[in-house]
Amino acid sequence: MSIVIPPPPDFTTHEGGGAEFNSATPSRTWYHYVLILASIVFAAVSVGFIGTILWNALPDFEHHTGTLLGGNGWQSPAGPFGGLAMIVGTLETSVVALVIAVVIGLGTSISIVFLLPRRFRNVVATLVELLAAVPSVVYGLWGFLVLAPWMLKTVIPWLNSWPFAKELFGNPGQQDGQSLLLASIVLAVMILPTFVAISREVISVVPNDLIEASLSLGATRWQMIREVVLPTAKIGLFGATFLALARATGETVAVALIAGGVANVQYHLLYPGTSIASWIATEFGEAQGNEISALMALGVLLMLVNFGLSLISRWLVSRQRKVLAVV
Amino acid sequence: MDQEFMAQVETKVVVPTESPQRGAAAMQLKGVAVSFHGRVAVRDCTFDVTKNRVTSLIGPSGSGKTTLLRALNRLHDLTPGAKVAGQILLEGTDIYRGDITVTELRTRVGMVFQRPNPFPTMSIYENAVSGLRFNGVKKKSILDEAAETSLKSAALWDSVQSRLKVAASNLSGGEQQRLCIARALAMDPEVLLMDEPTSALDPIATLKIEELMTELKKRVTVIIVTHNMQQAARISDDCAFLLMGEDRAGELIEFDTTEKIFNNPIDPRTLDYTLGRFG
Repeated sequence: MSIVIPPPPDFTTHEGGGAEFNSATPSRTWYHYVLILASIVFAAVSVGFIGTILWNALPDFEHHTGTLLGGNGWQSPAGPFGGLAMIVGTLETSVVALVIAVVIGLGTSISIVFLLPRRFRNVVATLVELLAAVPSVVYGLWGFLVLAPWMLKTVIPWLNSWPFAKELFGNPGQQDGQSLLLASIVLAVMILPTFVAISREVISVVPNDLIEASLSLGATRWQMIREVVLPTAKIGLFGATFLALARATGETVAVALIAGGVANVQYHLLYPGTSIASWIATEFGEAQGNEISALMALGVLLMLVNFGLSLISRWLVSRQRKVLAVV
Repeated sequence: MDQEFMAQVETKVVVPTESPQRGAAAMQLKGVAVSFHGRVAVRDCTFDVTKNRVTSLIGPSGSGKTTLLRALNRLHDLTPGAKVAGQILLEGTDIYRGDITVTELRTRVGMVFQRPNPFPTMSIYENAVSGLRFNGVKKKSILDEAAETSLKSAALWDSVQSRLKVAASNLSGGEQQRLCIARALAMDPEVLLMDEPTSALDPIATLKIEELMTELKKRVTVIIVTHNMQQAARISDDCAFLLMGEDRAGELIEFDTTEKIFNNPIDPRTLDYTLGRFG
């Protein structure tokens, strides 16, 4: 996955306009109508999709908005259906995953662009692209079967040897290892390729002029990266961060496998929890009546959040383009 | 080529008359050659760059002027497969093999590029002192003074002193280029390399930079690459003429005072080029 920085060609400013262009062609042939039909179908599907979701979610928003946003506990099938555990769980796993992914990802991107020898660069870059293509269920499986036992055996005892760690992370003892922290780590691995792919792109389009200018002033390579490259790429890097965050909040299958699926607000990351997306995926099968509309409402919430995040990231990337255009 | 045009070019070339007397050398080039992945781009460059003079590198496209210039502050270090052969001495020290780090070299040999390239995320002030900050200067009084002195030397202080905190991208192209000169001057370099510094500027901004260069040579040795023969004639004291050889590698044809190069060159190719018969 990558974002292409140069803007797309602007056909709207083409002189003469669409009407004249059309009149130049002899007559409207069948493909004209097929194309129009395709776009109508697409618009109808979009409107129908959003409309039905909103329609089904409406009862919950009408009567239980407070419960959805602030209630704890999910009593199936009669209710109440509180969404707080899912919202908090989504926030916790996404933010922890994001912090891990940004720290490791930024280091990886900088290394790929500036530090690694040319041969390794391509190897690492290809590896990143490959990781981005792995289906999320595979990540979930890997988290459950490989990472969870390892965390139980190694990471948790090590964590607990630190002062205040039990108060901060909780002390679950011997369970099957499903926890919010495990979900965060697997999410971090999953969003890492997304972040690296975009941040590498953003960093590598910082003009060579600026890099040479800083080196010509006696900057070391590290100063050049820290004082010139990263500030110039800053906005685009935020864009990459928001896109990675959007991917983390929307991730479903992997989290469903490893977070534990417990609908209680949980601030200790070593205990099991859940997220909005994974809760919808595990609950919809047996849902009836009010529970359906509660799940739909959760879906609307997730949709809005992701919509907002990707809007922000698009806006940031276009701002970055403008910064580079000034140079 | 058109006879009339030829006559125009000839009359336009104004050659400064100066004594050919030479001072000490700021930089010495001895058999310098640059190659990329084994392909020679420029070779056989041997000449002395005299202190407090402007030395211009002229020649048609592909003659290796810029390649040679970039060897003088080791910018080719960044390019994979680039090799610099021969000796380049700065005050007698071999800049590639001698007892000098690449960062120290670059503080002593500054560079101004073809396109104005102020750092877009920094203000005018921050741009002016960026080199000092890279080199660990933190004291505000020193930075303030350096900013003022260097901006004054670049003839920019009067127009920007009230808006030092403004982003450098708000300046016009000519002002941006003078900011880049100020940024290099703030390091108090011995040599200033200029790679076609006016090629992206309009005639008025070009004139200002040319005036500046004559002023600058009192305190810094200038080496300038230029495409513009009239510019070389107007501003430089010494001149190196490079030309692409049969195997597409640039080589030094002639080095002398600008007066000699333009009025009485030894090599007929130099005369042909300065008269505009090719290039």
